Amino acid sequence: MSLPTESATVGTDTPWSELGSLMLPAYAETWAMVGIVMVLVIIFGGIMGLALFNTDRRGLFPHTQSHATLSWIVNMGRSLPFLVLMAAIIPFTKWVTGTTIGIWAAVVPMTIAGIPFFARLVQNALNDLPKENLAVGLVTGGSPLQIIGSTQVREALPALASAITLNTISMVEYSAIAGTIGAGGIGYLAVTYGYQRFDMNVMIATIIALIVTVQIVQFLGDRIARALARP
Amino acid sequence: MIEIRQLHKHYDTAQGRVQVLKGIDLDVHSGSITAVVGPSGAGKSTLSHCISLLEKPSSGQILVEGKDLSILSGKALRAERRAIGTIFQNSALLRRMTVAENVALPLRNLGVIHHEMEHRVAELLERVGLADRANSYPGELSGGQRQRVGIARALALRPRLLLSDEATSGLDPEATAQILELLASLRTDLGLAIILITHEMDVVRHIADRVAQLDGGRIAEYGELRTLVANPESVTGSKLLPLHPDVVPAGYDFALTVAYRGTHIDPSWISKLGSEYGATVALLGGSVEAHHEGTLGRVEIGVSGIGEARAIEVLDGWGLHATAHSQTLHIDKANDEARIEVTV
Repeated sequence: MSLPTESATVGTDTPWSELGSLMLPAYAETWAMVGIVMVLVIIFGGIMGLALFNTDRRGLFPHTQSHATLSWIVNMGRSLPFLVLMAAIIPFTKWVTGTTIGIWAAVVPMTIAGIPFFARLVQNALNDLPKENLAVGLVTGGSPLQIIGSTQVREALPALASAITLNTISMVEYSAIAGTIGAGGIGYLAVTYGYQRFDMNVMIATIIALIVTVQIVQFLGDRIARALARP
Repeated sequence: MIEIRQLHKHYDTAQGRVQVLKGIDLDVHSGSITAVVGPSGAGKSTLSHCISLLEKPSSGQILVEGKDLSILSGKALRAERRAIGTIFQNSALLRRMTVAENVALPLRNLGVIHHEMEHRVAELLERVGLADRANSYPGELSGGQRQRVGIARALALRPRLLLSDEATSGLDPEATAQILELLASLRTDLGLAIILITHEMDVVRHIADRVAQLDGGRIAEYGELRTLVANPESVTGSKLLPLHPDVVPAGYDFALTVAYRGTHIDPSWISKLGSEYGATVALLGGSVEAHHEGTLGRVEIGVSGIGEARAIEVLDGWGLHATAHSQTLHIDKANDEARIEVTV
């Protein structure tokens, strides 16, 4: 009895010429996931970050109790590794989306992981603004919304652009992890072809795609942040 | 006219209650500059925050034209804030806004219509001499220019009171002089009441009409600058025109601090003191300052050789006020004649 060779068990590498038709839809799925998640993260994480900052001592409505509670929630959201979080909230994900696989099933844990991360980044960006900004907003007769708009968000835009860049890169990474639960996208491709079938070509292609993606996102993010900065 | 009445402010900390302001009374007249000076920890910045309505006093009133602004909050407070313009240390401009946008901020917050806003901003930038920098960003301006933008922003809503909180600290002497000149012209042209919170005695000496010395949360001394300087006993006066060296000298029967003010000081009064009383008089130190209301001077002289007890009569019109370092001198100012009686 002859032992099966490795190649006989796991099949052959996908030819380079066919990689395009395999990679492109998966790449589009990755961006669909990251795009949906980032919209939700910027909205809810942004609000949470503003709440964190404005309940703190330098904020519009300093309130120690509220600030501590918010901070605790954010820390809790950030303490679980993404893989653990994803597995832990499967019942919740199923309740929200009706499924545990596919893009939408990945969006739920990615958003939940992204919101507290972005909230902290927003809080840090606002903390880096000059301390006098609040006083300026108040003595110029600004309403709370005007103060948040003109002296906080607008002044912090370059740092917020960097925060979005950082968060987007994290979400690309999370989308790949989400591939393990059949979320689709590049990560799914890497797991099903590269890992389970030892398809070296797909593995190399996904690695290159991820590296190039992160480089491009960082490059664009830096450019935008620089364009928003003022002398 | 802005009246501050019995202003108290305390903070409750883990270590207990800290009284920062202990009953401040201060009248700030329109068309005049009142300087608030004092050591750090005296309560200057708390007072400043209360006046700019950033903090609510624990008790007391801040009356602008008879209306108490310290009790307001929310929308009513926002509406009445316009009576008080605030200039910050380091100008506190928003970095991502142009000069014009920074000046327009109070107008925009109030919902002033666009073309009226543009007109007002142009007028304000003209006033502070920065009409050509409207589209620059704060980072492109010098410290002095930034502070002038800060002043234009504070003036945008035509306040009755301008509060300057350490506005010139950190500026070079030339920029400081320009800011002071601008403030002085605003006092005259717009009839503004200006409060200058500062630790810089140079600034106070140059520009203030009245000085309040804050110490331990109370006003230790308050009066017209020229009165304080002309009073040899005044602590504030001696800080405004310090004597160098500020030590009691040896080798004289007594040392005399003479303060004076006015436009017609006889420059030979020191030698007259010597010739008329047979005394040896030496100038030990002093400073003389040109003020917008005339000359202010404080000098320290050492006197010896008078011998027995006698009186030195200082001629009417000298405008001199004196105090000795020991208990041997009495000032007797009867009628229009200043008499300095020296008992050795």
